[in-house]
Amino acid sequence: MALPNKVLPGFSAAMYAQSGATPTALTLAQLSTLANVSALAISGNLLNVEAIPAFGQDDAVASFTVAGSRQSDKIPVQSAPTSMTITAAWNPSDTVLLQVRADAYNGTTERTYVISATDGTNIIYYAFNGRASQFNIDPAPGAEAKATFTIHPRGNMYGWSNNA
Amino acid sequence: MAQMNPVQYGKAIQYQLSQIVTPVPVYAAFNRNFAVQPKFITWMLRNVHQPVYTGQNQNNKGIDTPVFQISIFTQEIEDGFTISNQILQSLHGYSGLFGGTTNGFYVSKADVSWLYNSYDNTEKMAQIFLDCTLDVPT
Repeated sequence: MALPNKVLPGFSAAMYAQSGATPTALTLAQLSTLANVSALAISGNLLNVEAIPAFGQDDAVASFTVAGSRQSDKIPVQSAPTSMTITAAWNPSDTVLLQVRADAYNGTTERTYVISATDGTNIIYYAFNGRASQFNIDPAPGAEAKATFTIHPRGNMYGWSNNA
Repeated sequence: MAQMNPVQYGKAIQYQLSQIVTPVPVYAAFNRNFAVQPKFITWMLRNVHQPVYTGQNQNNKGIDTPVFQISIFTQEIEDGFTISNQILQSLHGYSGLFGGTTNGFYVSKADVSWLYNSYDNTEKMAQIFLDCTLDVPT
């Protein structure tokens, strides 16, 4: 299995959402398994978003002071996966956007999302389970109407994989 | 969505402007030097552009907001101002079918900016220039 071995433009990233009103999100092992992840990264699941926001892991640290020491100590602690606020050009008929809207209304639907990035040949995937929130439409004049939503990933539920 | 076809834009602009200022002739820009009428209008299309968004899907784009410049040429200065007012009253803020039933399309808003007037001593014609921006749902 080969990773893309190039510096990737931001445009190379795309996002997919598992389909279905009541999906069965991938397990932790499946989130790092190419076959499971790539099966979700299909055109029918594509979220036509404007840009992929920063994804990965937040910072979390505990500071300790040690008696008699000149320096304190910072220890990384449980850090949450980064919440992603995403903007998409709003097409009211877009089935994947409608699904995200329904998830946000429901609040507890857990779904696997996949972010892919490619150099045109090889693809790297970041897959995570998350819940949608704060789905709103911004119809400010002068540009396309925007659908904005936030995906809150579940803790300890993400994985990386790549194709050959 | 797929990029809009500039040919459609050209046909729609020609039709719509002709409807507004009839019987004053309307030409695409290249005809300007051949026009000999005391009043005529030319148009030039520019800035046809849908913003492109992330990923490999070519159709992941925003709306198109093309701009066309309207140039009014008249031997009488006041005629040009009058024609420019016809265009303003008809197009500025317009929402609906643009360009007629055959080649037209829906615009959410047309936004006309009356740029400036001028006078060409060589051609002995007064000129007025306007920009019109179209917000096209795609």
